Order: sequence, then structure tokens, then C-alpha cells
Amino acid sequence: MPDLLFEIGTEELPSWYVDEGRAALAQLVEERLSEAGLAPTSVQGFSTPRRLAVLAEGVPEGSEQREELRRGPSADVAFDDNGTPTRAAQGFAASSGIDPKQLEILDTERGRYVFARLKRGGEHAAAVLPPLLTAMVADLPAPSKMRWSDVATPFMRPVQWLLAMLDSDALEFEAAGVKAGRVSYGHRFLAPGPVRLKRAADYVEALRAASVLVDAEERDEATWRAASEAAAAEGLRAHDDPALRAEVRNLVEYPIAVLGHFDEGYLELPDEVLSTVMIHHQRFFPTQTADGKLARGFVGISNNRVRDEAVVRAGYEQVLGGRLYDARFFWDADRRKSLSQHAWGLSGIGFQKDLGTMADKIARVSDVAAGLAQALELPKGERDALDQALPIFRADLSTDMVFEFPELEGVMAHAYALAEGLAPEVAVALEDGVLPRGPGDRLPASRIGAVLAVADRLDKIVGFFALGKRPSGSADPFALRRDGLGIARVMNAQAWRMPMADLVLEGAAPHRAAGLEIPADVEAEVARFLWDRVASLLAEQGMAVPVVRAAVQGSRSVIDAARRAHLLRSLMEHEEFPALMALYKRAANLARQEAKGGRNVKPGLFRNDYEAPLFEALPGARRGVETLLAQVREALPGWDLGFPPERPLGELGAGVAEVLALKAPLDAFLDHVLVMVDEADVRANRLALLREVTEVLRGLGALDQLEGV
Amino acid sequence: MLFQDIMLGLDRFWADQGCVIALPHDTEVGAGTFYPTTFLRALGSAPWRVAGVAPSRRPTDGRYGDNPYRFQYFFQYQVVLKPSPLDVQQVYLDSLYALGIDPKAHDIRFVEDNWESPTLGAWGLGWEVWMDGMEITQFTYFQQVGGFDCRPVSVELTYGLERIAMYLQGKEHTFDVEYAPGVTVGALRGDFEVQHCRYNFEESDPELQRLLFDRYEAEAQRLLELGLLYPGYEFVMKASHAFNLLDARGVLSQTERQTYVQRVRRLSEASARTYLAQLGELEPAPEAS
Repeated sequence: MPDLLFEIGTEELPSWYVDEGRAALAQLVEERLSEAGLAPTSVQGFSTPRRLAVLAEGVPEGSEQREELRRGPSADVAFDDNGTPTRAAQGFAASSGIDPKQLEILDTERGRYVFARLKRGGEHAAAVLPPLLTAMVADLPAPSKMRWSDVATPFMRPVQWLLAMLDSDALEFEAAGVKAGRVSYGHRFLAPGPVRLKRAADYVEALRAASVLVDAEERDEATWRAASEAAAAEGLRAHDDPALRAEVRNLVEYPIAVLGHFDEGYLELPDEVLSTVMIHHQRFFPTQTADGKLARGFVGISNNRVRDEAVVRAGYEQVLGGRLYDARFFWDADRRKSLSQHAWGLSGIGFQKDLGTMADKIARVSDVAAGLAQALELPKGERDALDQALPIFRADLSTDMVFEFPELEGVMAHAYALAEGLAPEVAVALEDGVLPRGPGDRLPASRIGAVLAVADRLDKIVGFFALGKRPSGSADPFALRRDGLGIARVMNAQAWRMPMADLVLEGAAPHRAAGLEIPADVEAEVARFLWDRVASLLAEQGMAVPVVRAAVQGSRSVIDAARRAHLLRSLMEHEEFPALMALYKRAANLARQEAKGGRNVKPGLFRNDYEAPLFEALPGARRGVETLLAQVREALPGWDLGFPPERPLGELGAGVAEVLALKAPLDAFLDHVLVMVDEADVRANRLALLREVTEVLRGLGALDQLEGV
Repeated sequence: MLFQDIMLGLDRFWADQGCVIALPHDTEVGAGTFYPTTFLRALGSAPWRVAGVAPSRRPTDGRYGDNPYRFQYFFQYQVVLKPSPLDVQQVYLDSLYALGIDPKAHDIRFVEDNWESPTLGAWGLGWEVWMDGMEITQFTYFQQVGGFDCRPVSVELTYGLERIAMYLQGKEHTFDVEYAPGVTVGALRGDFEVQHCRYNFEESDPELQRLLFDRYEAEAQRLLELGLLYPGYEFVMKASHAFNLLDARGVLSQTERQTYVQRVRRLSEASARTYLAQLGELEPAPEAS
């Protein structure tokens, strides 16, 4: 069976799309070929900044032959009393491309219908493919396409050429203003010009010969090898940053490493500043000496092997030098003022219309943080450090360095705090307060940093909700969801048992004091919004939605909900627990029959043999629930909710058996006791007993949500 | 290569590519994109090719001449090709060759960099071109201008002349670049730069600029309504510069700043609409507001 090669040559794609586009094209080719009855045996994607390609091996010579039954009108309508086809039948036959005589009548579940038996497939792949490939150029998923010239089909970047071959045959079609052929192009500088392919299967080799590494993995390894070897030449180690590697390999078709150096004097800058400038601004690999210190060597990955490497090196060094010159200028200038002085500048930076300046915001954050510290009963030492950090929290926003390199916010607060001699725990808290910057980013290491981080985000969410600027659908222009996720992760990691409602109240108080109107329903909305973030983090880790709901609705704090979710998941995996839940449901339904009624069960009113055993099983079950809750508290001390707990919950202990001991008497009770008897006091007593049972079990979570697990 | 020879070389090269070599428009602009020969001509269906030096003023970018790369006044070389040619990258590389930069001897990269001008209601996709790590050119395929879709699409190339000159002459500061024999950029523009930085950051009168902005805006609206597109658009450029001066002076709150941006944008869109109406191409209705 032949191989299909399809390559879309483009002007330089955005580096982040080189991987994404490759996967999208491979998937599209696989789907469309399968739909057309041409499912290949394997599909492999390739990409560089200038091309997306797919090699589909084992494409059938012709599309799979299959029969399709097309349903038409019902038999009654299709034929008149004489058995002659009506106009409805004739129309259906014509639209199916067959003679009315060939129509068949078949029995179906919904009655007798007329069917047309159609033969599909059996066409040559070479005839089927061109229109499919044309459509794929237009349909390739991409987050932002562009138009160019007067070409009608948008794409990520202008399409330069199309190559489509079935084994050694070129496929003819036109898309995005370009005619397809058997010609690819080599490296823009190292092997410019056409690469004519003899066979589809030659693709990778032919392009490698033209200085293009089309295989992403091969290019990634080559990039890293080149960088490591260049660094090793001077006894240095290149800094392995996977995100940088992925970006750099997608900025070149063939990686060539160039080792350069910056001036020794710049080493006095904080390492983070040097790394940020090298990585984010120039996409250079920083290097380290053997003892792990940042070195003045750096490795740039060039896309060109030039006659005189010194030219490229000099260019790299000059540009990096210019950036570092700026950075040192900012470093020196910023340190002429203390962070308290920089904090004055916050009143000149707007936060949000109707929510004041950054200075106003930080004043509110201070109130929230102080409230949290009190509620959390932080020890005096930490509260003192917090008091020192609050007036200068986010003061680095008004430094020149952060203005120029916004990604250094927090990092610079830390560096400047140390430079002016503040206590290390204050410096750490200042940096922690801006964490996490996004999903996957690290969380605050210090408790006071966590207080700052939560207070800062809470202030923003409450304020924006009060202004009616809440996220809707996929639109979240102020990244409030990101902030909410941050709060959930931090609170869980800190294992704070602060109720969500209290948290929101803390966040709202300073806004109210500043004159912002926050109706109670907005508070409830914020709490719901935060709970939704907790739920989405739990669901991301594969928790079933009912389990998440039961955990969240049965909890007051984030950590409580997260622990319950793990507990309920474990319980649901237990062979007997689901049966107990079925009984719970029956009991709860019964207990609901009469809204009011006492709680006190009076053994004196027991009238048959099934009431007392259930009543006597309650203390054990209650103890079991408490044992289980204590076990999860012990086993799950608090963890980053963006990830699974460091240690899984493990086997559930004795508590399970104690809870399950309720099953037999409850089962017997429900089978043998008529609850809704006429005698009012006996009925009330039985209802009270059931209420007691359900309440004990609800200690595990909002079990009514567990239905359907 | 002297600074002026780079400009002359690019003029010669792009003239040979069929471009009109336009002289700088005599109104302050933040970039050549504001020129009527770019902003307006990127709209409508007629083909168009233009190139030339565009002196640009960005008050906030001034550094009193201290920073080797950043100035409140600098020269861009601006090329607009409509429709965008399919081989525009190669033509661009050829233009570097014409300046004595052999692309084969350097690491030249096209790195994603998309562009948006909120005041012009314009955006596009493209790259910054890196030569040995240094950004020397901005490449943009205009998708919308003045809130209107560009059909066909123009490509805009903006060469950073100071950087290219520094590189070609091996100078570490723009002021050290030789502009003409025996005359450096610093000799030509040093005092100008420092004094304008003082003016922009310290001495400009915000009340005057606010007043001017209001008057320029009103005048632009009045003239555009009369169908006097070109005089009207000139007041749009003036209003935009007044806003830039207020911005540099640091007197605008974030919200206020946003309001000014929206006001300039409305003027830009009105200019674009007037231009298309006068071409008889005002349809379909604008897609953006």
C-alpha cells in the first residue's frame, strides 16, 4: 500500500505553532482519510518553522468498498394501492441516483420504510485525495489565522508551496493560491532551492540532505547537543530549560550553537535578571560553571552556519550587552531608592477604574492580610514580618526594572529587599506574594507569602465581581479564573481551614470601607466562583463530578473539600460502600417525607425488632466517620491542589468497617419497618431515627450528590 | 556604510521594485504607519507601492540620549507593498544584500511579532527580523486598518535604520554612527534629543496639550464631516501627537489614557471611512467598532 506525503510550506510560523500545527495536521489527515475509507496504517507528523508535513503510511490504493442503506419515505407513502411508486418514492430514488424499481422495503423499529442500497467507495486514492487535501489546507485548526495578498484562504502564515505525493506520483490540486507538486524547499540559507522528491518515503532523508531537520525530536536533540557541546568547550554546562529548548528548536530548521560571553561586570546583577534577559529576550541558553554558579558564557542557537562565526557571536554579544547595560542601569537606579520610596509610586499606577490606584489596592490588601493573619493565628514572629512586608508589597511595580521586564515582578522585590538589608523572611514573602503566576507555577513557600498571595487575588476578584466584570463563557479578560485557581491552590497547600464564606467576607470588608457597594448576592457569587475553581482542580485530577460535588457541598473550607473528595473516591471504590449509599438514598427520601419533626429518638417508642439494632449501630458509625475524617487529615497534610497529593491516601483503616456496620441494620429496617404508620409518635420517632442515620452519614460529605457514581 | 548611504541605498533598491519614493510627511507621527501614504492607501482595492524614510517621534521612548538604542526621535525606513507579494521575504533579503549585508554571512531569523495600534484601529501579523540576535526590521501583514478589513492585504516593512547603521559601522551608540563624512548622528541630533527629552518629560505644558488635543479633535471631526479628508486627517495626526506628549509627561491616569486612545481611534476610523467613501468602496460596513 502506498505512502502519502503532504507538506505545507509557509513563511516562518510562530514558534509556538510549530508543534501545535504538526499535531493538528496529523490528526486532520488521519480523520479525513479514515472518513473517506482510506485509513492509513500509520501517520507521522513533521514540522519546522517553514513547514508542516504528514507522512501517512499504508494508504489503501482505493477507498474501502462499503454498502450504505439510505432510508426514504415510509412504505405507505412510497407506493400507491397498485404498488406503483409515488412521486415521493421517485424523488427519493432520483436523489439517491438509482431506479425506483431498485428501492427496497424493510421493516424497522419504527415501521416499514423504503431504502436505497448504495455502493460507496472503491475509488482510486489518487482521485479521492486532491479535494481532501485542498479542504485540509482551509480547515487546519489554528488559533489565529491571517490573510495575505489577495488569497482567499487564510492560514497561520502565507503558504509558499504545497507538496503532495502518493508514493512516486505527485497529486494535482491547488489551495491557498498555490499549485501542489513534488517539490519541497531546503534550508533558507544553507540549501536554498527546490528539493525534488522521487518517493514520498524519501522525505526525511531528502530534507536532512538539504539542511532541514523535519523531525521535531531529532531537532530538539540536535539543539540540546549543540548547546551542551558549545558550553562544554569552555568547561561550562548549558542550563537545560525545556520551555526554552522547545522554543529555540522551533526557531530554526537546523541548529548551530554559538558560544558568546557577556562582560564580567554584569555578574553582579541577580541571577534571575541575567537569566530572564538571556532566556526571555534573546532565547540564549545561560551556562553554569562546574560548581553551579551562573557563568558569563551563553549559547545562542543560530539558524545558519556562516563562514565566519565571529560575526554572529559579535552580534549576539552586542545585543545582549545592550540589554544588560539597560538592566544594570535599572538595577543601579532602582537601588537609589528604598522599597518604601518605590511604594509611593504605586499611587501613580492605576489598578482599575472605580477600584483606585495600586496604592489603594495595596492598602486594602494589607487590611485583608491582617485579617487573615489574625484568623489563622499566625505566631508573633510571622506577624511582625508580615507587618514589615505589607507597606512595600508589590512596590517593585514602580521600579524601572519591572517596568522594563514585567516578568521580574516579585523577583526584584526579593532582590531589592535583600540589597537594602531587610530580613530574608520579608524578602521571601514579597516574592511569594505574587505566586503562582499561572498554572504549574510554584506556590508561596512561606506562610506570610501565602497570606499576601491570597489577599491580593481576593481583593481583585471581589472588586471586579462588585463592578460586574465577572468572567463569562470563555471570556475572562481580567484573568480572574487564574487568580481564583491560585487562591484554591495556595489555601489547600497551606491547609487553611478557613471557611470560604469567611474568606470572601474578609475580602469584601476593605472594599466596603472604601465606599464600594457589595450586595450579599455578590459575596455568594464570589464564593461560588471560588468553589467552582476548587471543583475544576479536583476534576482535572480525574475525580468524578458527583464525588467532587459531594465533597465541595459538604465542606466549608478548601482543604476540607479536597480531603473529602479523596476520601469519597476511596470509599466509592470499596465493594460494599455503594450499596450503603443506595440504602442512604432510600433513608434520606423517607426522612424527607415530613419536613418537621424532632431529632430525639426515644427508644421507649420502638415497636419492633428492627428499630433498636439500627439505633444501637449509630454511635459506632458516627465514630467510624470521625475516624475516617481524622485519617484523611493525617494522611493528606495539605498539598498543591494543581497536582495530586504527594502521597496518595492509601488504604482506609478501621473507620470503614465501623461505617459499614450500619449497612445490615439499616437494610433490615428499611425492609421490615413501615415508617409512615398512623400512630403519630411512633411515626415521628422512626423518622427521627432515619434523620439521625442520614445525618451521621452526611458527615462524610453531601452524599445526595453521589447519585450516578 | 554611512547612515545616509543606507537611506539612499534603500531608496534605490525599492524604486527598482516599483515603489514611489515618498518624502516624509511634514507632521509629527509616532511611526510611518500614520502617514496618509500608508494608513489611507492600505485601504481600498487599488495596488500601491511606496517607500521612504519616516522620521518618527515617540516622546515616551526618549532616554536623554543615554541609551544607545532608544530615542524620542528616530528614523524608520518604511515600505508598503499592496497586495503583499508572495516572494516578499526574499525581496527583503535582497534589500539587505544591496546594503552590503550578505544574509548568508549572518543568522537572520523571522520571529513572530504581531502588531496592533489601538489609536489607528489597526492590527496585523508578522515578524521582527533578527540579524545575529538584533531586531532590525518589523514585518507586518495588515489585517485591519481604521477598523476596516484590508482587501487585498498590504505588507509593511519597517527598517530600524539606527540599528542597522550601528551594526554596519560597528558602533556601540547611535550617536557615534557616521551620518555623512565627518558628521555623526550625535552631532546632528544630540542636542535635539536631549532638549526634546527635557521638554517631553519635564517642561511641556499639560494644560496646553489637553487644550490642543480638544481643539485638534474638534477640527478633525469638522473637516472630515465636510469631506476634507486630508486636512482633517492631519489634525488626527496632530491630536495623536498631543496625546503622546501628555502620555510622556506622566499626567494621564490609566483610565484617562484609555479614553484618549479611544478618542484618537474614533478619529482614525472616521478618516478611514471618509477615505473609503470617497473611493466609492465603503462597503461592507466596518467589522470592528
